[in-house]
Amino acid sequence: MSHDWQPDFEKLVDEHQSMVFSLALRMTGDRGLAEEIAQDVFLELDRNLGRIESPEHALNWLRRVVMNRSADALRRQRVRGIDLWVEMDENHGAKYEPRSNPLGARLEGLLATLPSPQRAALVLRYQEGLTPEEIAATLESPLATVKSNLQRGLKLLRAKAESHLKEYIRGT
Amino acid sequence: MGLEPMDDFEHELQQIMLRRPAPPGLKRKIMARKRANDTQKIHQRVVFWQRLAASIVLCGAVGGGVTWHNVQERRKGEAAREQVMVALRIAGHALNQMNEQLAEHNEEK
Repeated sequence: MSHDWQPDFEKLVDEHQSMVFSLALRMTGDRGLAEEIAQDVFLELDRNLGRIESPEHALNWLRRVVMNRSADALRRQRVRGIDLWVEMDENHGAKYEPRSNPLGARLEGLLATLPSPQRAALVLRYQEGLTPEEIAATLESPLATVKSNLQRGLKLLRAKAESHLKEYIRGT
Repeated sequence: MGLEPMDDFEHELQQIMLRRPAPPGLKRKIMARKRANDTQKIHQRVVFWQRLAASIVLCGAVGGGVTWHNVQERRKGEAAREQVMVALRIAGHALNQMNEQLAEHNEEK
């Protein structure tokens, strides 16, 4: 903990906007909603800036809050009967951002079809490179649950990839 | 799991899950909303202090009014008591005179 560290809001936005936006986008699948979540997360950071003690604390705080906000947004959408990822799945990931690697886009589209706890664990693992312990701390979930979500998510994704991507490769 | 060496599939996953660049206007929008929030916060603080000052002035006025009323009542009471004392003194003086006159009249007899 470095008590001498003085948080600079603008610098924190510069450093972490890509991470916050990417997590929100991969969790919700909607660019507009992800941008809105990213804005809200940074404004919440601004309100809590006095409690942030170090750059690492800021990074972990942002990860935790963006995952919570994204989960809340998904819950709200589900209550309203909108499933953002259904549209996304139909377009195989191409809806929210065209990618140069179509196979990657397919894989990312398949990732989007996973249940949200598994998706959250995989996004934190492979986008952020976190260990299961760090993911558990970020999601405030038991370590065993996180490990199970990672294993099940990866297994499910592999199975989906085997069937879907074979079709895709045959089709191209 | 996780800390074990990654296989090809996991490497592919890691490759496709690189961070996406934030939309170009995101920072500008965040800073604009922050400024708006800050302005609103200052406005709310000003309104709070204005309300507090108005409440203090109102409490002072009501308190002052009540105190003034009490003082006036006490003054009226004191004036009334003074009048009663004067009346009693006059009555006492008149009775003394009457006593003296009666005493003189008895002596003459």
